[in-house]
Formats: sequence, structure tokens, C-alpha cells
Amino acid sequence: MELMIKEKIKQVKKGDQAAFEDVVMFYQDKIFQHCYRMLGSTHEAEDIAQEAFIRAYVNIHSYDDRRKFSTWLYRIATNLTIDRLRKRKPDYYLDAEVKGTEGLDMYSQLSSDDKLPEDELEGLELQNYIQKQISELPPKYRSIIMLRYLEEFSLQEISEILDIPIGTVKTRIHRGREALRKKLRHV
Amino acid sequence: MDCNKQALKLMHKHLDGDITREEESQLKRHLEDCTTCQKHLHELKKTITLIQSTERVKAPEDFTLKVMQQLPVEKKHVKYLR
Repeated sequence: MELMIKEKIKQVKKGDQAAFEDVVMFYQDKIFQHCYRMLGSTHEAEDIAQEAFIRAYVNIHSYDDRRKFSTWLYRIATNLTIDRLRKRKPDYYLDAEVKGTEGLDMYSQLSSDDKLPEDELEGLELQNYIQKQISELPPKYRSIIMLRYLEEFSLQEISEILDIPIGTVKTRIHRGREALRKKLRHV
Repeated sequence: MDCNKQALKLMHKHLDGDITREEESQLKRHLEDCTTCQKHLHELKKTITLIQSTERVKAPEDFTLKVMQQLPVEKKHVKYLR
């Protein structure tokens, strides 16, 4: 798949805007989800995820195609979410995470599956709880935990995405795991 | 082995796939005797499973369309260069 993307990027670099559509389509769910988990709001996630793709397009010539495109794209998206988090007022930031409506927004966008309604409800409460615990982690831990366990990047790739030494990635992933362990061990 | 320092460090190395064979067997021996650490490692693994079990969100239907509409206009001359 990385190969198909590489080919598309080549076309985009040559000025073929339409080729970018396939790139967006391929990564839209991943990048949207990443932004959503970072920001806790579907509205902001949409905004920032779109901005990430637009920036990727505008700066496509600075992308070095010997490297993985996804790492580069996640880097743009992560930096944008961090900027957005910084601009928020601290109290608004906490509010947004506990507000029930965001959860509703999120679940209304989940892909449908064929689980029985009662299983779904029970699953939803646990899902909600876990999601809340992740969203309450400080952003520098949250981003790493997500990149590792939801997007399944290697520690080395995470170090490239976040532009921090691999030793720092490890320290943060350990602390993030411990913090979540304390919150989730009784689940 | 000191549970809070050494053993904990090894557990995280184990989870990161960063552990040497020697350290792995040290950890294994320690876990055989220490139920606290056994429980701790179990909880860490459970935490990872729970994180991974969270449902995936999808981008809105019109996401790609909206992105494409916001891209700067394609420069005509570039097309001829191809």
C-alpha cells in the first residue's frame, strides 16, 4: 500500500491534483481518528484533519520520498493538534473532554457492526470509560500511546513523527502505560 | 530483584520488545516468585488490550470532497510540463 501511495505522491508532485484525492481517501479515517483522540471533539478533529491534508498538499515538495509518507503526514497532523491544544483555554480543554455530547457525536460516527443491541450498550459504556481515561492523559503521553497502540507505529517511527529522541519516546510510553494501568486495572 | 525499579524497568522493556535474552530470564525468574509483579505485568498487558479494543472512529462522509475543494487551484502550466 505504501507503494501505491508513493506512486500517487509522485503524480501529485508533478502537479496532478486529482491524484491527491486517493491519498486523502486512503488516510482520512486514520488521520481523523488521530485528531479526534488528541482533541476529543469531532468538530475540531474534522477541522484539523482537513488542515493537515491541505498542508501536506501545499508542502508536498518538502516531503522526502525515501521516507514513509504516513510518518510525515502524522507529523503534520500531530503538530497541528498540539498547536490547537495550546491555544485552548485550560478550563475549556477540560470541559470538552467530560462533556457528554462529544461522546454522542463520536458514537454516531462509528462504523456500524452487527453486535446485538444489549452487547453494544454494555460495550459502549466500557468503551466510553476507556476513551475517557485515554483522553485525560496529558497530550505528550496520549499522542505516543495512540501512535503505538492504535496506529501501530514502531518506537523509531514515533520518534520521527514527534521529532523527539527514542529514549524520550520510551520514557513517555512507560509512564503513559503506568498511568493508564492505574485507571484501567479494575475494569 | 527490586520490584519497583529493576523488575518494573524490565517489564516495560519486555513490552517494547527491547529486552535481552538474559534480562528476559531474570524477569521470568523474578515473576515466578513475586505475585505482585506478576499482577503488575498482567495489568499492563490488560491495559494495552483495552486501549486496542476501543472503537475506531471514521471521518465524515464528505471529508475527502471537502479537502479537495479547499486545495489551492491547480496551476495550468504545470499540466503542460508533464
